[in-house]
Amino acid sequence: MSSPAGITLDHLCKTFRARGKAVEALRDVSLDCPPGSFTALIGPSGCGKSTVLRTALGLETLDSGTVRMADMGPEKATRAGLTGVAFQDAALLPWRTVAQNVALPLEVLGRAVGPEQGRIRELIDLVGLKGRENALPGELSGGMRQRVAIARSLVTEPRILFLDEPFGALDQILRRQMNIELQRIWAETGVTTLLVTHGIDEAVFLADRVAVMQAAPGRIVDVIDVPFARPREPALFSDDRFHHLCDQIAGALHGGHHAG
Amino acid sequence: MPAEAPGGRLAALVRALWPLVALLALWELAGQMRWVAGGALPAPTQILYRYWQDWGDYPRHIRATLIASGAGFVIGNAIAVAAGLLFVLAPVTGRIARGLNIAIFALPPIAIAPILSLTLEGMTPRIVLAALGVYFVTMQATVTGLQQFDSRAGDLVRAYGGGKAAVMRFVQIRGAIPAILSGFRVAAPNAVLGAILAEFGGGGRWGLGTYLLGSLGRGDPARLWGIGLTATAIAGLSYALFAVISARMLGRTRAVSLNPSAPPSETREPVNLPVMLASILLPFALWWAVLWALQVPRMIGKSPWDVIDYLFLSAQSAQAQERLLGALLQTLPITLIGMAAGLAFAFALAVSSRLTPGFTRAFLPVALVTQTMPLVALTPLLVLILGRGTAVTLWITISVTFFPAYVMIAQGLAQVPRAALELPRAYGATAWRELRLVAIPASAPWALAAVRLTAPRALLGVMIAEWLATGRGLGNLLNQSRGYMDFSMIWTVALVSVLLSVGFYQVALWIERRVMARMGGG
Repeated sequence: MSSPAGITLDHLCKTFRARGKAVEALRDVSLDCPPGSFTALIGPSGCGKSTVLRTALGLETLDSGTVRMADMGPEKATRAGLTGVAFQDAALLPWRTVAQNVALPLEVLGRAVGPEQGRIRELIDLVGLKGRENALPGELSGGMRQRVAIARSLVTEPRILFLDEPFGALDQILRRQMNIELQRIWAETGVTTLLVTHGIDEAVFLADRVAVMQAAPGRIVDVIDVPFARPREPALFSDDRFHHLCDQIAGALHGGHHAG
Repeated sequence: MPAEAPGGRLAALVRALWPLVALLALWELAGQMRWVAGGALPAPTQILYRYWQDWGDYPRHIRATLIASGAGFVIGNAIAVAAGLLFVLAPVTGRIARGLNIAIFALPPIAIAPILSLTLEGMTPRIVLAALGVYFVTMQATVTGLQQFDSRAGDLVRAYGGGKAAVMRFVQIRGAIPAILSGFRVAAPNAVLGAILAEFGGGGRWGLGTYLLGSLGRGDPARLWGIGLTATAIAGLSYALFAVISARMLGRTRAVSLNPSAPPSETREPVNLPVMLASILLPFALWWAVLWALQVPRMIGKSPWDVIDYLFLSAQSAQAQERLLGALLQTLPITLIGMAAGLAFAFALAVSSRLTPGFTRAFLPVALVTQTMPLVALTPLLVLILGRGTAVTLWITISVTFFPAYVMIAQGLAQVPRAALELPRAYGATAWRELRLVAIPASAPWALAAVRLTAPRALLGVMIAEWLATGRGLGNLLNQSRGYMDFSMIWTVALVSVLLSVGFYQVALWIERRVMARMGGG
């Protein structure tokens, strides 16, 4: 595994213009993710948290501000294969098998797939889909498809991992399971991770730090440290300190106006 | 349960087939008893007998039609897929080619068949007309297929530094294959229709169109039916062939989640004057270029300018205008009335079949057959049954408009939950109010799209009927001019009918956009 790289977001500003109306998606968003850290970005729908991630991947352009990853801009970093990504929708290509879908980023980057077959198999094992390498996406459940997307995000041995609500479409039980698995994968690979989510418990369970965003204009209003020791056990979900921290983040999300 | 299954399946088969069997029996009876127009509708057994007698003639005719439509199918589709790729990769080319595309879509093949026979030789006119018939369908399917890809998958490729070409390679092209195959499926019968129409309008010894034309005067209904059913079978089999291919190829690789679909409509681009001008001028420039490249003699091949000169500046212009206008006044009203009737019929059937699904099951297979039947083959049969009056023209227009409109309106209604359809009635609404509140708004955009898509076919149907049967209107003018070798008039009628068709298309598109804007769709 190559060494993780940090992410530096410096005063990101972005305004969308549609039909004469301007929507300020990001105002002065700054965030520093040290190498090997796990940061969660949380906020209500439409607060621009996905836009942050999309600009870091070069899928959107910025009006001003810079994104740096290992001293590279988004375009150079993605092309160098520095980053991995999983979206809310698994976005698997329906005509490719599980193994072929996992291999897609390698093909896009122009790397040889043959020598990586062993690792692709390992990754499919890692996400608990051993024996389903040749299944087509249509034959898998929603949770399984999402696991394929996670395996795919790791296939390039990324130094930075972007996760955009990867479990947003799953039910609560499956989501807990996936959270526990993701923690294990992160511990094994040590990759710098930025997780975009609207689940408070998910953010607290997984992250070292939770950055709270608010909408209109999209901005970071608070960064809260999560002190719990690792590895975190499922029992943490019912711990009082866990709930207290969740309440604190909920308070920050609501702009401090609500007491509880 | 398992013991009951075979019996259940048999019962289901009987239930599915009995309308067909009943229909055949009724047909047989009607034919034997000469109920319809003094024997114009022969019994199935009589058709089969005639078929057996004529069998020596068929292979060569079928072979000629298959070769022409097959070659046209391959060439037209190759061009269409390449054009679709180009239009998606460089959208400005699509906007420039818009006028040409609509003209190709809208042109009534019968109007340019004589021109092609005049300017090209041998099998070429047939191949060209078959290719023109498939081009638009496949081009449109290719563009739609390439554009409607999973944007998340596209994002993923771009997130790994992939550019437009990588998204095209990994996501769009493979994703477009189902759409392209369904394009081929719809295009295949069009190729057969194009080839037969060209055989009809041109020379040559072999081909089902030639055979049909040669048999028209013999007054032998059984033979006409035999030829018509053969043409239908070829068109239907070509459709089925691609249906099977796409079913086998797609199988399990269907998309995991589907987008909710809207009626196929044109996206609206910002108005750009030079591009629009280029789009209008391109078909005329191409017309000129083809005449020049083929070295067509001036007397036969008329340029756009020659047509303007003939119609407005020359000595015969007053007389030419009068003939053209007279023909138009005969063709236009009947086309519009037929389309309106077809639409109303389709709407009524779609609504009633939505509320009582069992009702249409017996009727639809018959409608489907009439749709696969190439119009040229259908027309003589309708003439036999309905005579040479206005009724035949009207019926052809209705049958041409009805089925696509029915399919589209039913598609629109299918997206409204049944409960919503029935809700007004639950509150005691009258049937009319119920229609006004739910069914009409739900199906209006689809009905308008159907008008846009069927208007050119309606005009084609009317012109074929006029040419073959009624001796009126534009179709007759074209046929007459062909007989008198009045080349200027042939070109003029071709141009006017293409313009008329494009005009129908544009007007329907304009109304569709107005309605969609008012309804907040789009």
